[in-house]
Amino acid sequence: MAYKPQYYPGTTSVAENRRKQMGHNLEKLREISDEDLTAILGHRAPGSDYPSTHPPLAEMEEPACPVRELVEPTPGAKAGDRIRYVQFVDSMYNSPSVPYVRSYYAAINFRGVDPGTLSGRQIVEARERDMELIAKDQLETSMSCPSRSHIRGATVHGHSIRLQEDGVMFDMLDRTKKDGDVIIMDKNQVAIPLDRKVSLGKPMSDEELEKRTTIYRVDNVPYRTDSETIEWVHRVFQQRTQYGFKPGVEKSQ
Amino acid sequence: MQNPTKEISESEMIQIQIVPQRILNPETSEKLLTEIYNCGNIRRVLIQGSRIPAVVGYGPGKGQKVQHHLKKTLNIGGQEVEINVTLSKLYVEVYNKETADKIKEKCENVLPFPFEYYEGVFFKKHSTVVDYAKMGPDADDLLIGMSDPKASVDNIKFIEQKKSDNNC
Repeated sequence: MAYKPQYYPGTTSVAENRRKQMGHNLEKLREISDEDLTAILGHRAPGSDYPSTHPPLAEMEEPACPVRELVEPTPGAKAGDRIRYVQFVDSMYNSPSVPYVRSYYAAINFRGVDPGTLSGRQIVEARERDMELIAKDQLETSMSCPSRSHIRGATVHGHSIRLQEDGVMFDMLDRTKKDGDVIIMDKNQVAIPLDRKVSLGKPMSDEELEKRTTIYRVDNVPYRTDSETIEWVHRVFQQRTQYGFKPGVEKSQ
Repeated sequence: MQNPTKEISESEMIQIQIVPQRILNPETSEKLLTEIYNCGNIRRVLIQGSRIPAVVGYGPGKGQKVQHHLKKTLNIGGQEVEINVTLSKLYVEVYNKETADKIKEKCENVLPFPFEYYEGVFFKKHSTVVDYAKMGPDADDLLIGMSDPKASVDNIKFIEQKKSDNNC
């Protein structure tokens, strides 16, 4: 039987959702065009070419190196794209994903990425076209809800603030808002106004968010109810304290 | 802030805190504040919430106008009041228990979601060094605890109490 990695312990729905996101077992829920994505990221004009920071690798005379021969460059690296970022903010009110899980997702499923994890936000730096692929994947699938997960480049607060009356995560710079049934962005991720309204799709209902969330919450799935996760976390902490993560030391003593 | 209708000692006054489960829309904020204003017998009202800036503060979009959909001028008791924060938490000091109960009832009627209601001590009792630096030695008791240490006292709005409204 082929080895199937299990990325996260636990028997609850939250643990299962974390495994799904880390293992890229995602459900596509909405469609966002490439042009709309480029507009909200705000790194280049929609429809324009990718600016480059060096010539394509094929045109460069690279030194003979066994590692370079062994590792296939990502499309962005091959074309010489600039390094650009996408940053997600997740509300603590049952957002589908959380910063740590987003970082695991990026590091496990993509190459050439530099994920950064903070308490309420998560940033991924990568070559521009590789980054756009990751951003689109997260925005279109069950990893995001348009009302509880937003793209924000500057003034990235809101994850721990109470929701607005319409259930949308508060944004001090008013980039994302509810327009009828759908959530729209009329500013890019650094709050520069756009010449269009980009629809991010319909928000999930509260019941759906409770099912899809990867956040343990006392009013939904409390952390303490997941005994398997608790057991593994205790094991990791105990081994780190006693043996400094040295495998084999425990057995030999 | 409203003028006292009669002389009541500070120990008889009641301070209440209202914490709605959601950040209020300007329409709901205006409705709630108007209902509270109409109760009369109110000494002070303090609003807390997330700041809504007029322009983007930093980043590549620095200086761009924000024009937040939650920022609107409120009409309270016939007076236009511009608030720079969302209404996320409310402190009210009232002259008697009946008014406090009435305000709780108004919140139940106006707010479409649950809220927390507390009675206790929420306003500063004594002047601090910062208050002394800002307002001098003879500061009005009403102004103590009404603004953040670094904020200007200009943020305080005075709303006249109509005599006919004191029917609580």
